[in-house]
Amino acid sequence: MDTSKPAIFVNGGLLPMHVRKRVRTVVQVIGSDRGAVIGKSTDDQQLSVKGTPPSVPLTNFVEVIGIADSEKSIQAEIWTNFGDTFDTYSYNQLCQLANGECQLLFL
Amino acid sequence: MFSSTQFDVTSAFSGGGFMPSQSTQLTDSAPSPAKSRDSQGLVPATVKQISQASHSGDEKSSFVIDGVDVTNVTVVGMVFDKAEKVTDVGFIVDDGTGRIGCRRWVNENFDTTEMQNIQDGMYVRINGHLRSFHGVRQLLAFSVRPVTNFDEVTFHFIDCIHTHLQNSKLQLQGGASIQSHMVESSVNTPVRSGSNGNQTSTSIQLSKQYSVDGLKDCDQLVLEYLQQSSSMGQEKGTHIDELCQQLRLPMEKIKGSIRSLEDEGLIYSTIDEFHYKAT
Repeated sequence: MDTSKPAIFVNGGLLPMHVRKRVRTVVQVIGSDRGAVIGKSTDDQQLSVKGTPPSVPLTNFVEVIGIADSEKSIQAEIWTNFGDTFDTYSYNQLCQLANGECQLLFL
Repeated sequence: MFSSTQFDVTSAFSGGGFMPSQSTQLTDSAPSPAKSRDSQGLVPATVKQISQASHSGDEKSSFVIDGVDVTNVTVVGMVFDKAEKVTDVGFIVDDGTGRIGCRRWVNENFDTTEMQNIQDGMYVRINGHLRSFHGVRQLLAFSVRPVTNFDEVTFHFIDCIHTHLQNSKLQLQGGASIQSHMVESSVNTPVRSGSNGNQTSTSIQLSKQYSVDGLKDCDQLVLEYLQQSSSMGQEKGTHIDELCQQLRLPMEKIKGSIRSLEDEGLIYSTIDEFHYKAT
């Protein structure tokens, strides 16, 4: 068992609290800019996702796991297509719970 | 296998591990919130929770999470290092809170077919038996299914939180603040006690309490306060006025709880009829 490298659930508002840490988030792909994918977080903020996307085309929603390298960007190691529809409201609430009262279940 | 004269459901299905454990039901003749409750069927858990689970009593075969005996868990995470062998398939599952080793015995075609569809990097839902092997915790999976609708990932973690909140004893302090963050209002409804819907209370904490082992919420609060005071070494017990003040409950309710708890043998009076201690 290994719990040494957790990935913290974040949205746009929580990302600044975890700069230089391993995070995970789901974004809605809205475009790309200079090699980085621009995504809208589940709390409607714009985030930049750097790294090498997978060879398959990205779906509307993508989960990225990686290191937060600034308050608005993530260096993604793992990209997972989450499909064209996704419940962003519930995911956003989960981010708040996982960083708040229930963080002991995650970190 | 299925004779027309006798069909013993228990023995026919007991190998699959899907039936809730019947033989280990504990009857609650003397309600005691301190003891673990009955084994639950399939408990949603994060790998972090599994790593922090303690062993249940002297038996090394079952674990305790949030005061509840747990043998079967459900986990959602990503597969890594899948290794197929003749009799079993081993892999690691990483759910973002940690990584745990898993093993799936492949005895029948169904098992083999199911595991062939699983690849590294895939999100899966694993239902399995939690066990410790040479001190290392692992999952003996009996079901490994790819996630196709990714709302299932969100759902699983919310399910873990929901189950944790139901089972843990931390509601007393955390109840008021957690409510404002709840995803759905239905999560707030107390599950066990049927009378809570009609209970009028003067305290915010009381209105969303989860009752344990049939005790009413007020009784539970009084009992826990007295247990805490006992553990802090208060020899002469706690005065009922202090209970009234600290728990912010009306005196009639406190007195009613004192009476029921005394009848159950969970508390006793000490220097006079106003001071009580937990047994």
